[in-house]
Amino acid sequence: MSGRPRKAADGIWLRGLVVWALLLALLGASLVAAYAVPAPWTAAINFGIAATQAGLVALLFMRLDRADALVRLAAACGLFWLAILFVLTLTDTLSRLANS
Amino acid sequence: MSAGGDLLDETAARHLREPWDQLRLAEGRAFALQRAGATFGIWIFIASEVLFFGALFLLYTAMRLEHAADFAAAARETNIVYGTLNTALLLTSGLCAAIASQASEREGLRRLTLWCLALTAGLGLAFMVVKGLEYREDIERHLVPGAGFALKERATQLFFGFYWLSTAIHAIHLSIGIGLVLRLIWKEWRAPGFLFESPQVEVAMLYWGFVDMIWIVLYPMLYLDGRGG
Amino acid sequence: MSGASSDASTLANPRELDLGLPVSYLAEGHSVRSWLFTTDHKRIAILYALSITFFFFIGGAAATLVRLELFTPQGDVVGADTYNKLFSLHGIVMVWFFLIPSIPTTMGNFLLPLMIGARDLAFPKLNLISWYLNLAGGLLTLAAVLAGGIDTGWTFYVPYSTVFSNTFVTLAVLGVFVSGFSTIATGVNFIATVHYLRAPGMTWFRLPLFVWSMYTTSLIFVLATPVLALTLILVIAERTFGLPIFDPARGGDPILFQHLFWFYSHPAVYIMILPAMGVISEVITCYARRRIFGYSFMVYALVAIAVIGFFTWGHHMFTSGMSPFAALVFSFLSFIVAVPSAIKVFNWTATLYRGQIGFESPMLYALGFLGLFTMGGLTGLFLASVPIDVHVQDTYFVVAHFHYIMVGASVSAYFAGLHFWWPKVTGRMYPESWARFAALLMFFGFNLTFFPQFIAGYLGMPRRYYSYPPEFQVWNVLSSSGAAVLAVAYLMPLGYLTWSLFYGSRALNDPWNASGLEWRTTSPPPRQNFFGNPQVLAPPYDYHPEATPPGDEPRIAEEGALT
Repeated sequence: MSGRPRKAADGIWLRGLVVWALLLALLGASLVAAYAVPAPWTAAINFGIAATQAGLVALLFMRLDRADALVRLAAACGLFWLAILFVLTLTDTLSRLANS
Repeated sequence: MSAGGDLLDETAARHLREPWDQLRLAEGRAFALQRAGATFGIWIFIASEVLFFGALFLLYTAMRLEHAADFAAAARETNIVYGTLNTALLLTSGLCAAIASQASEREGLRRLTLWCLALTAGLGLAFMVVKGLEYREDIERHLVPGAGFALKERATQLFFGFYWLSTAIHAIHLSIGIGLVLRLIWKEWRAPGFLFESPQVEVAMLYWGFVDMIWIVLYPMLYLDGRGG
Repeated sequence: MSGASSDASTLANPRELDLGLPVSYLAEGHSVRSWLFTTDHKRIAILYALSITFFFFIGGAAATLVRLELFTPQGDVVGADTYNKLFSLHGIVMVWFFLIPSIPTTMGNFLLPLMIGARDLAFPKLNLISWYLNLAGGLLTLAAVLAGGIDTGWTFYVPYSTVFSNTFVTLAVLGVFVSGFSTIATGVNFIATVHYLRAPGMTWFRLPLFVWSMYTTSLIFVLATPVLALTLILVIAERTFGLPIFDPARGGDPILFQHLFWFYSHPAVYIMILPAMGVISEVITCYARRRIFGYSFMVYALVAIAVIGFFTWGHHMFTSGMSPFAALVFSFLSFIVAVPSAIKVFNWTATLYRGQIGFESPMLYALGFLGLFTMGGLTGLFLASVPIDVHVQDTYFVVAHFHYIMVGASVSAYFAGLHFWWPKVTGRMYPESWARFAALLMFFGFNLTFFPQFIAGYLGMPRRYYSYPPEFQVWNVLSSSGAAVLAVAYLMPLGYLTWSLFYGSRALNDPWNASGLEWRTTSPPPRQNFFGNPQVLAPPYDYHPEATPPGDEPRIAEEGALT
């Protein structure tokens, strides 16, 4: 009886540690990129890394990968609506910047 | 397994509440629906928080686009050691939270669940301590916007306004998360067996994961700009 | 009275048999504790109804003083600063503490579980917390008013609100901030309820349109309100903590505030109209004895309004200094959002066609809604056009436009719903002739108040001014006179509805011979909503089909001859 919970625990730990290691590796990579990559690219790379880390946390720690469609839809709506906010506001900000 | 079945029925009876207990379904099925409802509810709330923090990030984006050079100069002044350490602490707490959530759903993993919850809260508190040290240093270095601000370019104050604001708002959310975790530990202490399959664990751990995600995006904004790459 | 009813006086309808049934939700517990700690969605709806009525009259009092001042061109009733505080109070209280909660928290809370055949909302305790948050926010805002008021307008534009205003901005903003959590919680509750607690047989496309309107409104609650919350925090951060955010003198961009503010506040106006549209669909079908025309398109239109409404906020900012390119994009999107609203108006009209239309008081309010919403909507199209908006922005034309929608349409729908469901909620009938008179008076008073404002604004009278050039006086006198009539029309329901609670005749379970699960239980319902478990076997709006001759029966049997 104590064997099954132990194996289950090991399974949980293993998956978790792999994701954790990936996250820390990405953290390291972003540090390196901040110092080593030339200026126009560092923002893109670092925010790309951040997005990847966030995706890993959402999918694997917060278990979106095995959630039902409804939950995934809710998460997707959050992102989509944020995109509306960003895109339409930035059309104004960027076009004013470009024309100033 | 009858043992598992009995435990589940006990669990359902412990956690089932109105109106889910009046759906004329078997207790186990009703409880599963209640859990699904709770998970859905917290994800809707998380979607709303995405917009909350997203608006904050839009503020940063617009300001940085308008004042790129000043923002780079200002970001150089943040303490990257503290920042990176904090990020590592939170990522580790996220690991513990994820494990606690999964362990609470399996029989016989009560101690693992409790340990991971305690570690989650502990790492969260460690983050706050490091943040406190960082804040103290920032104040000593006159990085608070206003008269006597350390840097002379105007928009560097905008950056630090964002820095104090966003880290404070994040810290408030983190404190709420720590409170939720400590409450779960307390409830388990008061009524052993409470955590097993409790929807409240999933809800709190999802909230924690989200606060983690916010910091993951905040980190490059505050610490990785202008480092001379 | 407690326990199962055993004498005729406690029965919902004395003519019905006493079957030893559970008491109504109103009779279950009479202590203050049983009300303030309730988790019954019906009682929480009543708590909300009390608080929003309170705030409605506060906002109305402010409006009364505003209109009194505007009788004459000179500023002679109040000083300029006081006037600014009055219209700010009016806007803040009416928007956040009356209109936004109104239909969703009263009728939505009460009816949503009933209409889908559920016992309660998905998270009943969260529902109670919602009410307390709303109340706390309202009291904080009231504290700001009593302390001396806020003069920034309900829009809190920066840098005035964050740098220059000397009034209680932070306190008022805090009040609105707290109430925002109330609406987010309600939104989460409603969405989860509709997904998980529908009775067997209640499929998505059998839901009454009111339920769809609550669902789509909840989407807006959840997705728009957080942005407001953040924006208000930014105002507090700049004002109270001195952090530079929007102040142009410190490098900030005031237009960014407007983007963030209107990203919420434009969808907020859809929060104020979608529930009204839901109510109207229920009322028009019942009193025209017809199923709704084009049910699926009515659903798609609700969803489309909720979604497209998020893409149009820049039309509040055409004259702010935003980029002309962005202005064009927002203008185009604003024209698009009018289409689903128009579809709904056409469908309601088509629902009336070949119906057996009666003019019961809820129907009077609903017909008023149709006309006033159309006028408000069309004038919205004028405002969506940039060249016109440049001339009428910040004039009374805009004021008239949004009052036609928020007051003419939304408040009419609120009263329509209030009267339609009053028997269900209270178990009493109100005096019909008084109700009809109030409805007609309201329609007349409303138009007298707000139509002259279109003219005044078009001719150039600016909004938020306490004194104006004499050539605008005639329009202002008409408008202020109308406001007096409107005030009477609003006080009348307060009077006769309260009277009906004590002296009104007892209502039947289904006094209107209406379709919908809420009418399949007693008036008022018991705590657990239904006796037995509802099952849905047919689509909604099970009214008289077209082309069937009515025969000799009256439209609504309980009313007797055709009214």
